[in-house]
Amino acid sequence: MTVLNTPNGFAMDNSGRRIVVDPVTRIEGHMRCEVNVDENNVIRNAVSTGTMWRGLEVILKGRDPRDAWAFTERICGVCTGTHALTSVRAVEDALGISIPDNANSIRNIMQLALQIHDHVVHFYHLHALDWVNPINALRADPKATSELQQMVSPSHPLSSPGYFRDVQNRLKKFVESGQLGLFKNGYWDNPAYLLPPEADLMATTHYLEALDLQKEIVKVHTIFGGKNPHPNWLVGGVPCPINVHSTGAVGAINMERLNLVSSIIDLCQDFNRNVYVPDVIAIGGFYKNWLYGGGLSSKACLAYGDIPENPNDFSAEQLHLPRGAIINGNLNEVHDVDVRDPEQVQEFVDHSWYTYGEPGRGLHPWDGVTEPKFELGPNAKGTKTNIEELDEAAKYSWIKAPRWKGHAMEVGPLARYIVGYAKGHEDIKNQVDGLLRTMNLPVSALFSTLGRTAARALESEYCGRLQKHFFDKLVTNIKNGDENTANIEKWDPSTWPKEAKGVGMTEAPRGALGHWIKIKDGRIENYQCVVPTTWNGSPRDTKGTIGAFEASLMDTKMERPEEPVEILRTLHSFDPCLACSTH
Amino acid sequence: MSDKIFHPARESHEIFKASRLTGDATLEDLDSIRKRTSVYVYEAPVRLWHWINAACITVLIVTGYFIGRPLPSMQIAEAYDQFVMGYIRFAHFAAAQVLTVGFFGRIYWAFMGNHHAKQMFYIPLFNRRFWHELIFELRWYFFLEREPKKYVGHNPLAQIAMFFFMTLGLTFMLITGWALYAEGAGQGSLPDMAMGWVLGLVQNSQRLHTLHHLGMWAIVVFMIIHIYAAIREDIMSRQSMVSTMISGHRTFKDDRVE
Amino acid sequence: MGQIETFYDVMRRQGITRRSFMKYCSLTAAALGLGPAFVPKIAHAMETKPRTPVIWVHGLECTCCSESFIRSAHPLAKDVVLSMISLDYDDTLMAAAGHAAEAAFEETIQKYKGNYILAVEGNPPMNEDGMYCITGGKPFVEKLRHAAKDAKAIISWGACASYGCVQAAAPNPTRATPVHKVILDKPIIKVPGCPPIAEVMTGVITYMLTFDRFPELDRQGRPAMFYGQRIHDKCYRRPHFDAGQFVEHWDDENARKGYCLYKMGCKGPTTYNACSTVRWNEGVSFPIQSGHGCIGCSEDGFWDQGSFYDRLTNIKQFGIEATADKIGMTAAGAVGGAVAVHAAISALKRAQKKTEEA
Ligand code: HEM
Ligand code: HEM
Ligand code: NFV
Ligand code: SF4
Ligand code: SF4
Ligand code: F3S
Ligand SMILES: [Mg+2]
Repeated sequence: MTVLNTPNGFAMDNSGRRIVVDPVTRIEGHMRCEVNVDENNVIRNAVSTGTMWRGLEVILKGRDPRDAWAFTERICGVCTGTHALTSVRAVEDALGISIPDNANSIRNIMQLALQIHDHVVHFYHLHALDWVNPINALRADPKATSELQQMVSPSHPLSSPGYFRDVQNRLKKFVESGQLGLFKNGYWDNPAYLLPPEADLMATTHYLEALDLQKEIVKVHTIFGGKNPHPNWLVGGVPCPINVHSTGAVGAINMERLNLVSSIIDLCQDFNRNVYVPDVIAIGGFYKNWLYGGGLSSKACLAYGDIPENPNDFSAEQLHLPRGAIINGNLNEVHDVDVRDPEQVQEFVDHSWYTYGEPGRGLHPWDGVTEPKFELGPNAKGTKTNIEELDEAAKYSWIKAPRWKGHAMEVGPLARYIVGYAKGHEDIKNQVDGLLRTMNLPVSALFSTLGRTAARALESEYCGRLQKHFFDKLVTNIKNGDENTANIEKWDPSTWPKEAKGVGMTEAPRGALGHWIKIKDGRIENYQCVVPTTWNGSPRDTKGTIGAFEASLMDTKMERPEEPVEILRTLHSFDPCLACSTH
Repeated sequence: MSDKIFHPARESHEIFKASRLTGDATLEDLDSIRKRTSVYVYEAPVRLWHWINAACITVLIVTGYFIGRPLPSMQIAEAYDQFVMGYIRFAHFAAAQVLTVGFFGRIYWAFMGNHHAKQMFYIPLFNRRFWHELIFELRWYFFLEREPKKYVGHNPLAQIAMFFFMTLGLTFMLITGWALYAEGAGQGSLPDMAMGWVLGLVQNSQRLHTLHHLGMWAIVVFMIIHIYAAIREDIMSRQSMVSTMISGHRTFKDDRVE
Repeated sequence: MGQIETFYDVMRRQGITRRSFMKYCSLTAAALGLGPAFVPKIAHAMETKPRTPVIWVHGLECTCCSESFIRSAHPLAKDVVLSMISLDYDDTLMAAAGHAAEAAFEETIQKYKGNYILAVEGNPPMNEDGMYCITGGKPFVEKLRHAAKDAKAIISWGACASYGCVQAAAPNPTRATPVHKVILDKPIIKVPGCPPIAEVMTGVITYMLTFDRFPELDRQGRPAMFYGQRIHDKCYRRPHFDAGQFVEHWDDENARKGYCLYKMGCKGPTTYNACSTVRWNEGVSFPIQSGHGCIGCSEDGFWDQGSFYDRLTNIKQFGIEATADKIGMTAAGAVGGAVAVHAAISALKRAQKKTEEA
């Protein structure tokens, strides 16, 4: 077979040399990627495969809906909490439970903390090594690095030559030990790395700074949810009571706790403004001409929206993160998204290791079915337990293929920012225009691997501001005498209808997340999750439409095909989470 | 004195050939019935144990229930001064200690005491007469027999109930109870060394609580049946019941042997 | 646990000359793009005691254990990774991917046979020939067995590796299986929790490095120093428990005063972990302090004990689900009813008999 034209406009040619990357590392979970490169080492066919499945949707059946948050939270420890929030929203939607104002603010502060944490850890600890060469940092002049730092970010306090020399010495000692640990077998002499040693040293230093910082960001979860990863949630509100005035306040959210939250919010804002965003601009500046990886971003983007200003109101105009869908590359029209509409969100499994009993079917999640069926296609190479090459014409992934009105969609920070930009969302527009101006780039530069990485940084900064907003709102509300955090009217299952169904949505760090639940006789009858990485990492569907990962790899030129730096770069720009995608 | 059980089926004593008197009667008992129509069955230690045991179990059930499902919160004093749950647990553990000592004492007495002192601890599986009498006893409870038999010790139904609910049931409660206690006493403590293995067996302490809690209900069920049966038999059977557990003497209401 | 040989010792033992050793060092330097000045330093390092190599593999999991690990404050995760151990393989954090990553895996096993620590996060599924978790085209369980074969010791991180965790919850569709049920011939230390506390994780590692032996384990193979007591034994709300002062409903007056969460289903009395003492995220809080009961996340099978808001295990053996009290009360009620009926009939029969006899 040679060229296959997909309905979403890609020409897939699998005649060239096949390259396999498995495991794809620096992601959450297990993933495999296969590409075909032509004689110029340009990717002409891409196959992305989710290689794990746990069956949470099967496990949830028959359980108490009030427990579902804890199960779904364990779908992922990286985007910890977002599934839990989605789950309690789904249950509340099904049972008609409204939550108090304080609960809304606290949930938002927690969700925003997750966004910031996940974005920071992703950029520095999962993504940076695609752009930054820590070994090259050994060649840097600490003094010049200090100057670079002060130029890039005049307000960051950690910028003296001595500081960078210390880090460099530590790094040197580490490398000289011959035990390279995590840096072992990296592609350090690949010409794809473009940074000067000073920028490498600065970024490597921030790798370590961010490692220290990330454990602070999550303390917001610890305060309100008792721990991180996997804080606790509650159907009907939040489990932490508020008591700022009277005896026993030490057993609840009190002034000391609020002060701690406030100080963490400040810390995050400082880091986003002084380190994260400047780093992305500085590093991005050196890679400005590497504009691969746009994939679906210029064609089809989806966002459910999140961070409701008021409790129990999910109408699009009340959400701080935008909702909407863009299709066919038409940024002038942002479609409304209705996740209850059986025609809008559907999942297909023709190329996934599941079966619906008949081919070509798409199911809305309320009627979703999760029945595993592992089989390799006739053209796969190797054996069942030793796969050498997959056959993408058959079933080839544990990820289902979700579609919005039949379209494969990109979700995530970039999708949110494109939808927001197209809708004229003021904060988003200001940020994006500012960035493009600073870097002297056209809007079209957004539709790229770098655009994805930049959108994430901008979003982290925006989320910091929103966190502050909701913190102030919480304090004002308490000041006005409202200390309620939970609504227990419908806590007891005897108050529930015999049958109910609901849906919960969030914008997870990696994109639009939805949980659909059906409740019968107080128990879960059906539970389906359609997750950001399910969208982005989706295999082909019945008609051959390819998903965002596969699309974004197309036409990328590789320096050395046996060293998949470019593949990692672009895949990482989505921040893939495979435990999420397959659940 | 001979503790040998008299088995009419096996031994061919002319006079008792047609006897329907119970299989657990010793020759001596039979003599006694005819002479005094009263037998000394439950020696003092058995009686003492019976009533202490009954009291402990009552305390354990009441306190155990409130451990599992505590009373509504009360504000009597500051937390450090108020000890409602603490006292309930204290009573539970105190009764548990007495129950434990008593149970071991009762086992000791099974060896030292008379023949009837052993009856609670076994089921005579291979004694055909026992099974016949069991069927008879069931028929009596289903109102299919007009007249009950005379028993010196426990009737077969009672013996089965005693064996399962008390011998096994109490053992189960002691084991699970002490295993729970061992958790609080801590690793390396005496209860832990003795009973810690139980947690290792059930793996999850929550399961242990559940088992212990279920055991309580089994004992509640026994109590209902036992007390009802004791009083009913006292009224309807041919021998004394309640007073027997007080005086130790079984008196028979008639002199008929069968 | 035996001493780690230096890399040079190993090479000498295998009959490699000093000359080839130096050549190896310069090749290493060259591979890293470093100048000849680095060669003697690398040689020196290889002649001194190396940092203990750690291979960290991932099965079916959610990666919260890794996430927890990097939250460690004392020691800082960066200090562990840069100065205490040599994290030679960890697919979540390592730079290399695909073949280069697999090569790093293999090299570490070969180079440090019998001397590396294998850290396992997640667990292998056994159904579908293990293909519910594939790495490098093969079932994860193969990789686990391979790495375990020459490991000095194994750490089972979290509830997944220790017990199976959420994917092993009924009906366990993939037959996710804890590590100790697959690897039977190696010392395994379980560090359960979903996830475990960061400082407990680094505490276990540093204990092993400092004292060069396993910590004392409890009956379930968990380090007794962190898992020897229940949450409830050291819970700061314990005085309210003893006083009988409970939260009766979410967000009630008692909740705001910080009363005991027993009636909200708190699993503190049945859960062995260090949360109420070490606490989470540098001691900021722990579940109970933030108002939600403990859900028992460091206990075997905690997902299948019924609702997190019930105190006792749900019993499903009778077809319908029930609590111990429901079953008990039903049984007692039924027996009580039967007794009442029986008593009534008995009285009737007795009256009949009396009239007959009269
Ligand atoms: C918690 C309450 C009670 C428990 C656990 C209990 C337990 C027992 C046990 C284990 C025996 C067998 C004694 C032995 O062979 O050593 C027994 C016998 C007996 N109990 Fe109780 N008992 C309880 C309450 C009572 C009460 C309230 C009465 C009186 C109304 C009573 C009357 C008797 C009688 C009459 C016997 C002798 C039964 C026979 O010979 O078949 N018990 N009980
Ligand atoms: C007839 C005997 C007994 C009965 C009916 C009984 C009943 C109960 C019940 C219903 C509970 C509450 C379980 C729960 O819901 O978690 C309980 C708890 C307990 N019982 Fe018993 N029990 C008995 C004997 C014992 C014995 C012999 C011991 C040994 C010391 C014991 C020690 C305990 C302990 C330690 C607890 C847990 C207390 C706590 O969690 O605070 N029990 N018992
Ligand atoms: N994909 C995904 Fe998640 C996120 N963000 C969840 O919904 O990472 Ni684990
Ligand atoms: S033990 Fe829990 S927290 Fe750790 S990987 Fe498993 S599910 Fe995640
Ligand atoms: S809150 Fe939980 S752990 Fe603490 S005292 Fe109450 S029951 Fe025990
Ligand atoms: S839920 Fe887990 S985190 Fe601690 S308090 Fe309970 S063991
Ligand atoms: Mg799904």
